[in-house]
Amino acid sequence: MKILSDIAALLTGMWITWKHMFRRPVTIQYPEEKRQPYPRYRARIVLTRDPDGGERCVACQLCSAACPVDCISMQPTEDTDGRRSAEWFRINFARCIFCGLCAEACPTLAIQMTPDFEICTRDIMDLVYEKEDLLIDGCGKSSHYNFYRHAGIGVTQPRGNGAEELPPVDVRGLLP
Amino acid sequence: MPKLIIDDIPVEVAEGTTVLEAAQSVDIPIPHFCWHPALGKAGACRVCAVKMLEGPVKGIQMSCMLPVQEGMVVSTTDPEAVAMRRAVIEWLMINHPHDCPVCDEGGECQLQDFTIAGGHGIRRYSGKKRTHVNQYLGPYIEHEMNRCIQCYRCVRFYQEYAGGTDFGVMGSAGRVYFGRFQEGQLESPFSGNLVDICPTGVFTDKTARFRARYWDYDMAPSVCPHCSLGCNTTPVARYRELLKTVARRNEAVNDWFICDRGRFSNSVVNDPLRPRRAVVDSRETGVAEALEALQLRIRDIEEQYGPGSIAVVGSSRMAQEAAELLPQLAHRIGAGALCFSTTRKEQVETLALLELLSAGRSASQQDVRNSDCIVIYGCDPLNEAPMMAMAARQAWRAGAKVYLIGQGISLPCEVTECTALEDVPLAEAERPIIICNVSVRVELLDKLQESHSHLKIAGLFPAANSFGAAQVMRETGAISLEEALADGEIKGIIAIEADIPAALLDGIPFVAALDWLAAAAVQAAQIVIPTTAWVEMDGSYINYEGRAQQFSKVMNPGVPIKGLDPNGHPPHSHRTVAPGGEALPAWQLLATLIKLLDDDSRGLS
Repeated sequence: MKILSDIAALLTGMWITWKHMFRRPVTIQYPEEKRQPYPRYRARIVLTRDPDGGERCVACQLCSAACPVDCISMQPTEDTDGRRSAEWFRINFARCIFCGLCAEACPTLAIQMTPDFEICTRDIMDLVYEKEDLLIDGCGKSSHYNFYRHAGIGVTQPRGNGAEELPPVDVRGLLP
Repeated sequence: MPKLIIDDIPVEVAEGTTVLEAAQSVDIPIPHFCWHPALGKAGACRVCAVKMLEGPVKGIQMSCMLPVQEGMVVSTTDPEAVAMRRAVIEWLMINHPHDCPVCDEGGECQLQDFTIAGGHGIRRYSGKKRTHVNQYLGPYIEHEMNRCIQCYRCVRFYQEYAGGTDFGVMGSAGRVYFGRFQEGQLESPFSGNLVDICPTGVFTDKTARFRARYWDYDMAPSVCPHCSLGCNTTPVARYRELLKTVARRNEAVNDWFICDRGRFSNSVVNDPLRPRRAVVDSRETGVAEALEALQLRIRDIEEQYGPGSIAVVGSSRMAQEAAELLPQLAHRIGAGALCFSTTRKEQVETLALLELLSAGRSASQQDVRNSDCIVIYGCDPLNEAPMMAMAARQAWRAGAKVYLIGQGISLPCEVTECTALEDVPLAEAERPIIICNVSVRVELLDKLQESHSHLKIAGLFPAANSFGAAQVMRETGAISLEEALADGEIKGIIAIEADIPAALLDGIPFVAALDWLAAAAVQAAQIVIPTTAWVEMDGSYINYEGRAQQFSKVMNPGVPIKGLDPNGHPPHSHRTVAPGGEALPAWQLLATLIKLLDDDSRGLS
């Protein structure tokens, strides 16, 4: 009795449709209604500052090396206090695929991803963000880490005064 | 020749070879820090451990210290050897700072590579790191002693190989310190090699400090243009800026190293005063228009002053390709003179030295290193061609006698001062070499060679392609500019990468300059066409011994991005050619000009 099984199949489908009419919808009316993404959502990239207010980014070029679409470029420079920082730092969000590899590669926790995904513009050149557009006044997700306190070369503190360092050696000392 | 087996591969090498070198000869890499082909072994780092399974010695051994012996069976992959190497890396990292992101060596660091290869990632040692105070070592080299792994390469190079005396090792045990007794600029003219030779970031190039990373470099094999030795280099560029130059190995020429002049003379390529745009009568224009204007102007001058009123002037710093095209250009325009040199003295001396060296008696730097009797004859190698002094030092270290004929000349080796060539026992030597420059009395050496058939000569020329330019000079009968201008017939000068003194250009109605340097001719010229520097083109130089060496294009010509935009960002606008990127190699401009002239004479234009 093929006809009976066909009718049963039709009714099953209708039943599922009818059942869903009384469920809470999963879609929302964007942009009137907005949903807050989770904090670890991967959208607009920012450059954070260390707890002492200095720029975390040392322009080590690891993010631009990790970037699969080559949307990050920068020029490192030396500041007067010996810090390495970015002379200019550019992310082309028109090309970015928000994969998060840059944030993962960052050794100083400078580059971080935020939940802000609404960055469309009418002019594509507006999506080329420079350092002043990227840099925020805060630590982002990790509030305690300052790379230079652990780097072991003394920039934010005198040499040999870092977290895991002995005072500088006296080469001319005769003690063993 | 002893035979041994390394990782199941039978190897036969010469007596005295170390196990490390024997393994390298069959492409088995063994990690090493202190061992270096030019410096030999020190046994300081302990990272080249291998296990000897059979043979005269057994157990874990340092492969760099152990000469091969018959019947050895070596394993580089034995678990015991691997564990040893891993432990060594881990203890080398105990005191190494956590600063790879802010270290210029990052990405090209041997310690980084071997740490990752050894599998060490998480620090287990909970003690504190020893630290050092850095020294100011001059404007070229940055010192960061905290990174040191005590391989002793720097001090072995500086004192033993290069003969420097102002840098050494101090302290003992965990306090070992590599530096100067007091802060100050390193005195050796080879100090830049510390940057290349340090397996980690203790010595880094200060002129390229915090500029780029290894994986972003624009690099290509090149040849140093700063003297006639033709040492092999690898220039490094990024964002149209020449950042630094590192040595490239060539056993026959410079071996592993280069001098500081070759390494740190990069700013001339990035000079903001370089001619970047074509200029016709103080008006900027395109290169094609400028070439057409030049062709028309050549015809005007000939009509106005008669044929033979133009001089084509080249130089010994231009690439050989351009030097070869110059006679063709001179022929096409019916030039009154073809010149490669400014003064008659320079012309005569260069040609005489060329004659002497063309007889197949020219000595390469390798010949100098292998010589047993070297005569420095009336030249100052340390200033004229520093790597030649370095080569003489290597010969001296191997037991050669070095004789010096000349006053006030210092060399990085012990010398016996003589007053004349007759005092030198050339006949007793097996491989004698005379090092001289263009000011030498050629007849004297010519006569000497007749009596000493095994005598070789290293004749230092003034510029990178002096030998090649002199060959063209000899074949075409070129004269010096001084002679060409003597009778006042010359009314126009086309200067192609030529260094003409401003005084000689006075009163010449028409000057055209094709150059990448802001030379005097460029200042005086009505038509300026920019050419490319050696790093921006493919070409070749013929060095002092007649060795033609090719160099490749490292970067595109153009104004460096640094300093282009007042806001500090690179520009946001798109363009097909970089600003100032219209420059072409001199040979390409000459070929185009020759074609324009040909088309014109056949009535095609």
